[in-house]
Amino acid sequence: MSFAISILEQGLIYGILALGVYITYKILDFPDLTVDGSFPLGAAITAMLITKGVSPYLTIPISFAIGVVAGICTGVIHVKLKVRDLLSGIIMMTALWTINLYIAGTANVPLFAQKTIFSLASENTLFAKMGTYITVVISLVVVVICKILLDLYLKTKSGFLLRAVGDNDVLVTSLAKDQGNIKILGLALSNGLVALAGCIFCQEERVFEISMGTGTIVIGLASVIIGTSLFKKASFMKATTAVIIGSIIYKLCVAVAIRNFSPQAMKLITAVLFLIVLIISGRKKTKANGMKA
Amino acid sequence: MKKKLLCGILSVGMVMTLLVGCSSKKDDTGSKEKEYKIGITQFAEHGSLDNCREGFLKGLKEEGIEEGKNLKVEYKNSAADMSLSGQIADDLVNSKVDLICAIATPSAQTAYNAAMKTDIPVVYTAVTDPVAAALAKDDGTSVGNVTGTSDKLPIKEQLEMMHEILPKAKNIGIMYTTSEANSVSAIKEYKKYAKEMDLNIVEAGIAQTSDISLACDGLLTKVDCLTNLTDNTVVSSLPTILDKANKKNIPVFGSEIEQVKIGCLAAEGLEYTDLGIQTGKMAAKILKGEAKASEMKFETITKPGFYGNTEVAKNLGITLPENLTKNAVDMFDKIEASK
Repeated sequence: MSFAISILEQGLIYGILALGVYITYKILDFPDLTVDGSFPLGAAITAMLITKGVSPYLTIPISFAIGVVAGICTGVIHVKLKVRDLLSGIIMMTALWTINLYIAGTANVPLFAQKTIFSLASENTLFAKMGTYITVVISLVVVVICKILLDLYLKTKSGFLLRAVGDNDVLVTSLAKDQGNIKILGLALSNGLVALAGCIFCQEERVFEISMGTGTIVIGLASVIIGTSLFKKASFMKATTAVIIGSIIYKLCVAVAIRNFSPQAMKLITAVLFLIVLIISGRKKTKANGMKA
Repeated sequence: MKKKLLCGILSVGMVMTLLVGCSSKKDDTGSKEKEYKIGITQFAEHGSLDNCREGFLKGLKEEGIEEGKNLKVEYKNSAADMSLSGQIADDLVNSKVDLICAIATPSAQTAYNAAMKTDIPVVYTAVTDPVAAALAKDDGTSVGNVTGTSDKLPIKEQLEMMHEILPKAKNIGIMYTTSEANSVSAIKEYKKYAKEMDLNIVEAGIAQTSDISLACDGLLTKVDCLTNLTDNTVVSSLPTILDKANKKNIPVFGSEIEQVKIGCLAAEGLEYTDLGIQTGKMAAKILKGEAKASEMKFETITKPGFYGNTEVAKNLGITLPENLTKNAVDMFDKIEASK
């Protein structure tokens, strides 16, 4: 049981990240590498604020806001300065390394002595009864709120335009809207969510470490691809739900690899499990198509 | 239908391996008495950290706790990945080990965080500054059910040793990774002692392995000799640095035995295997119930030892002073290939 709990904890927290990556990768069709910097950016600002005595709850909106700023920067570099998409992400990711170091002060900020949203909640009588489930419950609450807000947003006029930019940008131009601005908006939202994931992760692990962003994009993309391809045919399920489940499945793959194989083989096993999941979902799709025909 | 079945079987299989993995191990601890089960979480694959781990098991063995006999070891390595490190720590706590040995600072922090809600003690090693890492209080006492050993460098001794070998050297170059908290605090201390000795520290900060070549070229034009910290990224690329320095006939000093083995001139440093052994003995006390991690201060290796490499000295045209070599812990007469 406790194994399932820690996989859910990690999977749900990285689910927020998956929501962010979903916006850029699936909706905007923009491979955004900024996340390798904006994830630790959220963590850095959280660690700095918490050590300064700011309420842990306040760090959530603040880290979202600072992630939005990072996303806007990437967007401006790409749209206004006409730098290629991949490159503008790399530029921001590189710049954020130093910015994160400045914000946090040092490369490693422990938060063992400070209060976090999780420890504050365990003081609350309502949550205290949940014992070991507390982290999972809070992560679930945060990720569900993010998901619902994102779903609601995607149904607004602005949300529809955002989806149109990725699918059919001619349409957007024909509606007399500037697709550049919409792209910037999408990147801002995405990186806001990613920084929020960094904020929660930092409080859960109780440490900020500058290298914690390395490989974030891989986890994010893997979660999005697993989620969307596995539940492609499940029309009752929203893509936003699918990517969160994708994130949990990704963490399950990692946990299986950690549990059962030697440390050297772990990355390979994770890759193989990841491949198997993709093959299965790919086959399901062709089969379903065949049935329709 | 077949494919759907395959998909179902696979997912069930994955979950089962998880559950079977933990249930079978539970039986082992329950059936025999005095059978210890420990988990080791190591942050990266790295010569010095590997030595720590081997030393740790040796230290336990010297206290009568031997792998294969009355000890089960679960060894995990997070390949320098923070999110993985957290998941590994959770995994070890969930498999209800008797003690977690955490090697290097990030691993120690994730392990302590995961074990905080349980009564599993954490023993760390290769943490340079346990106070800055919030694993110990200012006076060295523990902050919780956690203790261990620090690999703080004997910086003053190192500078004195360098001055003795190269009395004319004034500018000392150090390369370090800006992301490693250990290195940043070591640089600060180097500067403090260098000022007292009227020496000048020239630092070059890098962000990743690919920066090393350029940074090294730049640094070598400005210094009389180089010295190393225990910086993971820099030490991993030591062969590149040695190659560049040798071409310019600039001596490179190390910070521990492995570095001297593979071609640093000398080091006033620590032996990670010894540090591991010391840590293993602390862990043995905790496992046997003789001491509590929460009541133990963290330890450091008190007396550093001198290591020298005579082949390197010959290549550079330097003779190592006799009063250093006669007290050396270990001297090497050839350069070994790096691990």
